[in-house]
Amino acid sequence: MLKDFLEGKPFRHPLHPMLVHFPIGLFILSLLLDLGSFAFRSTPNLVRDAFYAMLLGIIAALIAAVPGFVDYTDIRSDHPGKRTATAHLTLNLIVVGLYGINLGVRSSTLDAFKTPVGPLILSLVGIALLSVSGYLGGRLVYDDGIGVGRHKRRTSTPENTLHLTRGGNGEAVFVPVPEAESLRDRETLRVEIDGQVIAIAKLDGNFYAFQEFCTHRFGPLSEGDFEGFNVQCPWHNSCFDVRTGKVTNGPAKVDLKTFKVETHDGKICIGAPRATEKSS
Amino acid sequence: MKWLLDFLKGKWLKHPLHPILVHVPMAMWPSALIFDLLSRWNGNAMVRLSFYAIAFGLIASLLAVPTGVVDWSGIKKEKPAWKIGLYHMILNLVVALLFAVNLGLRVHTYREETIVVGAPLALSIIGTALLIGSAYLGGLMVYDYGISVARMSKKKWRKIAEAGGANLPQK
Repeated sequence: MLKDFLEGKPFRHPLHPMLVHFPIGLFILSLLLDLGSFAFRSTPNLVRDAFYAMLLGIIAALIAAVPGFVDYTDIRSDHPGKRTATAHLTLNLIVVGLYGINLGVRSSTLDAFKTPVGPLILSLVGIALLSVSGYLGGRLVYDDGIGVGRHKRRTSTPENTLHLTRGGNGEAVFVPVPEAESLRDRETLRVEIDGQVIAIAKLDGNFYAFQEFCTHRFGPLSEGDFEGFNVQCPWHNSCFDVRTGKVTNGPAKVDLKTFKVETHDGKICIGAPRATEKSS
Repeated sequence: MKWLLDFLKGKWLKHPLHPILVHVPMAMWPSALIFDLLSRWNGNAMVRLSFYAIAFGLIASLLAVPTGVVDWSGIKKEKPAWKIGLYHMILNLVVALLFAVNLGLRVHTYREETIVVGAPLALSIIGTALLIGSAYLGGLMVYDYGISVARMSKKKWRKIAEAGGANLPQK
């Protein structure tokens, strides 16, 4: 429940991107006030104002870090965005650390007429790193769709991709997926069988396997939500019937590939496609 | 003209510009309200800080307008996100106007005043409330409807999907 709250599910909007406005804005304001203390010598107390803006910025950053960390742990470990997210997280920790030092250093010179050089440099470095980090955070959303449509999903998402192989003969065979046994209703697996990436969902006691990538902008269907036999892409809400792969709602126009699921010797098996010539 | 539209869409940065720029007013105006409230205890320092925050927010919001309009104009009219975008825009105009008036009311007094009360405080409260509503709608466009999501990374994801054996649309 707490995790759902920190992921912003009750708000239909992740919390971390809401909260980060405050540290970003306040740290920039603090730097502007520092610069102002050089430009407007006759205006008193700008140094003190910069201190307060920074203090609030640090408090806001610490609050934003909590849902940010939850969002981070929710990214599939082999997701292309995971490294970006690690860099974003690390940079942010450094930035907050720097501002903590900055605040301590400048606390003894609040009555100065202009900000001393040391704290000013720390602020400049802080903003530079924060800009990079904020940019990476934005790329996570706009490039990799992290947090997009996640609130629609009612179950947890796959933690990683299972890598399976058909074996050497290259014929269409059924590949056992023992992990499917432990799926609960509306849960999914993300499976890769000799290059083919497949989402497996359990719906109403039955298993369905279909291509992982939406045919619109290739969003992750293993992280989609299910309504009846429809899977809804988290990114732009395209819907597909998982039994046939047919588009039931746009923007996608092309149907999904689907794969047979059969039980062989009591094991759930996916009908892995016949090997095709690898195009380079 | 196309270069200008591409610039405003943030193609050169590989990141839409509007959501970057809005951090400033989004942070400054609610902070101004907090500073207003803190002025009760911290006096003139908070009155000044609130003034600077409102001013900085206004400047950034003016920059955010063209980028937002360009992003919005890219949404098809029949989509639900178009209407949300329209409400988002109208609300933002109201909010920016309220804070402009708010700033005007303070400009002659913020250097000496030790507390924010009355009309400026009321304007900060109303402005912040509307801003939160409006910003929520903006966030909904991204996180619920996927506006600007995978727009600039389409090629990258197409390659990943292709390598993963997916059915793909024609290029």
